[in-house]
Amino acid sequence: MNDIKPIRIFMTGVGGQGTLTATTMLARTVLAAGLPVTSGEIHGMAQRGGVVESTVLIGCKSPKIGHGEADILLGFEPMETVRALPYLKRGGLVLSSTEFMPPLSVAMGKQACPSLDEIKTQVAACTDKAHYMNSQTIGIEAGAVQSGNIALLGALCATGALPFGPEALAATIKANLPAKLQAVNLKALELGVAALDA
Amino acid sequence: MAHSLLADAPGHIDLLLGNEAIVRGAVEAGLQVATCYPGTPSSEVPDTLFRLSPEARYSFEYSVNEKVALEVAGGATLAGALTLCTMKHVGVNVAADPLMTLCYTGTPGGLLLLSADDPGCHSSQNEQDNRYYARLAGMPVLEPSTAQEAKDMTRDGLLLSKKHGAPFMLRTTTRVNHLRGPVEFGPVPDPGKPDGFQRNPSKFVPIPAFSRPMHVALLERLEALRQEAENSPYNTVTGSGSLGIVCSSISRAYVADALAQSGLADRVKVLGLGFSHPLPETMCLDFLSSVSRLLVVEELEPILENDLRVLAQKNGLDVEILGKDVLPRCNEFTVSMVEDAICRLTGEAAPVRDACQPAALPMRPPNLCAGCPHRGSYFAARKVFGDDAIYSSDIGCYTLGLLPPLKAADFLLCMGSSISAGGGAALASGKTVLAFIGDSTYFHSGLTGVANAVFNKHDVLIVVLDNRTTAMTGHQPHPGVDKTILGDNDSRLDIEASLRGLGVTEVREVNPFNQKKTIAAFEELKTMKGVRALIAKEPCPLFTRRIYKKVAPQVAYVAESCTGRFECLDTLACPAMYRDGDHAAVNPILCNGCMLCLQVCGHIKAKKRGS
Ligand SMILES: Cc1ncc(C[n+]2csc(CCOP(=O)(O)OP(=O)(O)O)c2C)c(N)n1
Ligand code: SF4
Ligand code: SF4
Repeated sequence: MNDIKPIRIFMTGVGGQGTLTATTMLARTVLAAGLPVTSGEIHGMAQRGGVVESTVLIGCKSPKIGHGEADILLGFEPMETVRALPYLKRGGLVLSSTEFMPPLSVAMGKQACPSLDEIKTQVAACTDKAHYMNSQTIGIEAGAVQSGNIALLGALCATGALPFGPEALAATIKANLPAKLQAVNLKALELGVAALDA
Repeated sequence: MAHSLLADAPGHIDLLLGNEAIVRGAVEAGLQVATCYPGTPSSEVPDTLFRLSPEARYSFEYSVNEKVALEVAGGATLAGALTLCTMKHVGVNVAADPLMTLCYTGTPGGLLLLSADDPGCHSSQNEQDNRYYARLAGMPVLEPSTAQEAKDMTRDGLLLSKKHGAPFMLRTTTRVNHLRGPVEFGPVPDPGKPDGFQRNPSKFVPIPAFSRPMHVALLERLEALRQEAENSPYNTVTGSGSLGIVCSSISRAYVADALAQSGLADRVKVLGLGFSHPLPETMCLDFLSSVSRLLVVEELEPILENDLRVLAQKNGLDVEILGKDVLPRCNEFTVSMVEDAICRLTGEAAPVRDACQPAALPMRPPNLCAGCPHRGSYFAARKVFGDDAIYSSDIGCYTLGLLPPLKAADFLLCMGSSISAGGGAALASGKTVLAFIGDSTYFHSGLTGVANAVFNKHDVLIVVLDNRTTAMTGHQPHPGVDKTILGDNDSRLDIEASLRGLGVTEVREVNPFNQKKTIAAFEELKTMKGVRALIAKEPCPLFTRRIYKKVAPQVAYVAESCTGRFECLDTLACPAMYRDGDHAAVNPILCNGCMLCLQVCGHIKAKKRGS
């Protein structure tokens, strides 16, 4: 299995966003492509609005990604993208949502979120390979806000950074999601791919 | 069609969560009885076993706590059943008493104990290393590092346990329980009926005269199990070189990845121990003799390291052994950390690591959900008692009440400690003590605390935060629940009746969302002495949504008249509320319609959901 160049993908989001489903979809796509995969998730406090981190690793044995090890960082929320930057290899690929989910301290007016420009500056200090999209809005357009995660994943597949393209993810969605969720997620996938080109 | 985890489909490959793989392994062994108490990172094992139980051929129970789970499991295996018992690492503390004795009596039907450890404290109060328990009790240990191994080791651990009549420990860590990886399925046998009980008091009743020979028999079993470890496919030697590495558990994965990416695989010889106790001494000795330096890569305690030092010393081997002097004793490892250690020992330059360092951001700590009933209980308690009382807390979602503005947790020891430790704090401080305890925790180990407090005349106000479920770990059933995912609970225990049965005469029950009544009840109980109790009863809204498919028909909104005092935000910290310029506002999607905020400020009103 070790002729395969390892690819480590770190994903981060907020509890309740449905990021673990997206993680499993990606891991299943890797498996279906006949590649060695492990995936991991840390979700002790997922229900209660905390941070949810997950990983998909191609060609590795360990499910964990340490600081400076991720080839790809997928942020389902812009502040979480920045918070997870220490995991990214310098020069790695970032795909991030641009839509904030303010934590309590911000909602209560005690602290402020950074601006999107500040987010982009922080990311640019680590890598010049970054793509941004309003994935929640795309999700809503596709029919369910959670499908925004699939939009971001679709965009990732379309960058060419993975050993398969968006059609492989589409096949996983068809094979694994219940019929009523398929259309929404396939639509989100298509919109995500288009958003990358835009 | 049977659920895929139950199906006899040898050769089928699926992507499984480590905990699902454990379930599959147990099914492939012919599991007959499973007893569990939930706790992260083990909870998906019982939850999967429970969900599948209507179509499965094993008997399953959520026991009330870990001691009880292991005792039920112990009785089952003594009566010949192939038995699985699961818990998180601190659960083994609760179950330690029966565990020690089960290693003496042996387990004729087979018994595998899952101890799910949590290096890094992802969801626990400590990172204790339960491999020590295995040594203390005299238990063989299997430590998986992949989903496939989690499945295979569960199956083989159960079968080896039956073969030797010795309980086995499957010791996982959070990373293993919560990884996903491909698993190739094996055949599923018909579990048949348990062998039945064979009376033999000299083996099964540990009075001193019997215990002494039982201890001798235990040590003999361990020697036989050492032979199993010597021949186990889970213990492997790979590579070659003068630097040796011994590793176990998930560290085997870190070592494999570190060697692959450093390109040093041909200079290092690796002994991976998946069957790590009893130590395969011959194998280890051969390995130690074949290298000049040895690095032991194990998370947490230097257990293998110390075993190997003893082995080297006993055999007069002159090999340098390194472990905790190179790698940390706290927290988890990473591949980079292991790679750096290997580079240092092989004299190679470690890769430059300059991880990005973003500027500080607002934190995102977990918080009680919108519409959480615990918020109502804490809000009222603070209003009545302020900083004058001591708040003895316990383990569950409600521990999150620790955070400002509710600040309703002053100390906490372990599950079930709030009432007993609260009594101790009251007698030593002379202050009023409130002991908060969740309903699942109450049945887990609160009942004994109540009996003790009544008998010893402690002065403690018990507050049972009865949200009708075990919320923190994923809404598992407990004896008091009305309903589970499989239907009604027709053997429901009543908390109020149990409190009265244990001698608490002053018991009040309120809905914590009714602040007027909750505050009045607290005021009344404040004037009393001794053991008295308030039951704050209202279901967790997430549970209601999941089990009853219901949401509150109304939501809150902030009227135009809002004067911007923000008392609602400052005192409740409900995540559905936010500051919108000079006004407070409610996000109707997040609002669970508990109507607590309406009782804090008259400018907040209710409206029909969706209107
Ligand atoms: C000995 C032990 N077993 C299990 C756990 C895991 N655990 C943490 S909270 C909890 C249950 C809490 O349920 P409950 O008391 O009803 O409170 P809720 O979360 O519903 O508010 C469990 C089982 C633990 N921390 N310690
Ligand atoms: S899951 Fe339920 S009990 Fe736990 S914080 Fe949320 S609402 Fe409260
Ligand atoms: S009614 Fe008020 S306190 Fe309750 S969930 Fe809605 S906003 Fe929060």
